[in-house]
Amino acid sequence: MASLLQPDRVVYLVRGEKKLRASLSQLYFCRYCSELRSLECVSHEVDSHYCPSCLENMPSAEAKLKKNRCANCFDCPCCMHTLSTRATNIPAPLPDDPTKTAMKKAYYLACGFCRWTSRDVGMADKSVASGGWQEPENPHNQRINKLIEYYQQLAHREKQERDRKKLARRRQCMPLAFSEKYGLGTRLQRQRPGGPISSLAGLSLKEGEDQKEISIEPAQALDEVEPLPEDCYTRTISLPEVTTLRQRLLQPDFQPAGASQLHPRHKHLLMKRSLRCRKCEHNLSKPEFNPTSIKFKIQLVAVSYIPEVRIMSIPNLRYMKESQVLLTLTNPVESITHVTLAACEEGDPDDINGTAKVIVPTKELVLAGKDAAAEYDELAEPQDFQDDPDVVAFRKSNKIGFFIKVIPQKEEDADVVVSFKIRHDFRNLAAPIRPSEEGAETATEGVWLTHHVELRLGPLAS
Amino acid sequence: TSMVNTKHNVKIAAGAVVCVESEIRGDVTIGPRTVVHPKARIIAEAGPIVIGEGNLIEEQALIINGYPENITPDSEVEPKTMTIGMNNVFEVGCVSQALKIGDNNVIESKADVGRNVILTSGCIIGAFCQVNTCEVIPENTVIYGSGCMRRVQTERPQPQTLQLDFLMKILPNYHHLKKTVKAGHHAS
Repeated sequence: MASLLQPDRVVYLVRGEKKLRASLSQLYFCRYCSELRSLECVSHEVDSHYCPSCLENMPSAEAKLKKNRCANCFDCPCCMHTLSTRATNIPAPLPDDPTKTAMKKAYYLACGFCRWTSRDVGMADKSVASGGWQEPENPHNQRINKLIEYYQQLAHREKQERDRKKLARRRQCMPLAFSEKYGLGTRLQRQRPGGPISSLAGLSLKEGEDQKEISIEPAQALDEVEPLPEDCYTRTISLPEVTTLRQRLLQPDFQPAGASQLHPRHKHLLMKRSLRCRKCEHNLSKPEFNPTSIKFKIQLVAVSYIPEVRIMSIPNLRYMKESQVLLTLTNPVESITHVTLAACEEGDPDDINGTAKVIVPTKELVLAGKDAAAEYDELAEPQDFQDDPDVVAFRKSNKIGFFIKVIPQKEEDADVVVSFKIRHDFRNLAAPIRPSEEGAETATEGVWLTHHVELRLGPLAS
Repeated sequence: TSMVNTKHNVKIAAGAVVCVESEIRGDVTIGPRTVVHPKARIIAEAGPIVIGEGNLIEEQALIINGYPENITPDSEVEPKTMTIGMNNVFEVGCVSQALKIGDNNVIESKADVGRNVILTSGCIIGAFCQVNTCEVIPENTVIYGSGCMRRVQTERPQPQTLQLDFLMKILPNYHHLKKTVKAGHHAS
């Protein structure tokens, strides 16, 4: 019954800028705001760049210079796989004595997936294993660089005017480089759609320097276009010679139409991102710097703070008949957690997908803490929780199985969906410990959090 | 009378290395310098199979000259010979039913080649690609990817001589081999 464990079966509601329903494994939990966060209500920031094949880290400045491409690795222009360097032995004349020939190593690039080689486009074999391969240069490079310089200067000038206006309005003793000091980190400077792009302005000359006036010639429109070749309609098409759209558009500089002009390009870098809560500006997820490491420096994922509901077994569901569904509840934290369930009331704005009435246990469920050493500790006495056998089916370390009663209300073909609220206590270990005035009190206070959970139980039994 | 073609007539040339754990049924001729790994299956149901020199048939590969699907084994069908040329590679787990295979082809792992396909020379059928059209694949064609994309390569794949030499030295150390039987004689 692995289909019952699929992530989309049990979803939690996230009350962010948009109301989203997602599985707990895809959500984050901000323990400073004590709220669930999804990928849509956090801000994504670039942490570091790395190459996916050679796993080499690259500082952001260097990445920008190299246009986010790796220096060593190439992509196959035909199937976009990573190219590997292969060596052959070719007889070559010795430099001292032209009459004798010795075996020299020649290197060429080859793709293991589609068997493309660099010899297919006429690239000569190189004598060094790496560093000998050059990308062809874009014929429009000069014009584009000139345009970029011109617009950088323009953006810089506009930014200066904006700063001057801001200073004039504020009439305070602010340092001159106001907008440069508070860069793109704070929320004020974040790009708003439709606003001026200030990223170009930061790259130009410093304020005190003399600025050369850069002028550009406007682009000239041509009347005559190159005519089509005469055999355009009569020539037979050889399909292997024509590049596909995808192959063509991956090289926007050249967009070659023939397969013999497809040159390999350097591999794109991937990036690691860190997530930040938009309300309190704390980091929710920060990966490690090393590209080979998959661990996180900060990892505030929801599954390690919120009890998780999972479906264990579903009987045959029949229209308007009460059936018992077995669910499990797992406690991720190490302290004892108390959980109360409540059915959604009539007219609850969050309950839009429910198609069945649900009767949840009214008593409070107690979950033991997660104890990693429990399996090794033979002398531990099992804690006695005195469970009601009508409510709690079984108990196993930090997990319990409990029953809910479901009465499907709609006779359609769609899945039966039930929703209820789950209320549990959360101890915020991140908050600073304040000295309490009443003497010896528990350092951490529990906060009661309520979540809206929806379960998709499957179709009615026919 | 219904002819059931189960002539157990396997002719293995001298110089071929055929492991005992491989399953060879029917009228099969194997040329010299061919290596057949254990658990490979060569089944000649609806006609004989002739395999040339220098071929490499890896584990769990299935070369089968079987009846086409819409013809029952009982009806009278003329037996067609399946010919396989030289220096071909049948990688692990592939299925080949092509009646005519030329030289220097590579059928990669878990590929499936149908009965009506004719491979010329230098063709590469990529891993897990299923080719069951009714056509002659032109020379030096590479079929790759989940959509069976095609392209033509400029040079044919190199014959696996190094690998064949290595296997012919090492396999007899770990497996018993089937006895070589010259064409025209029967194994006693």
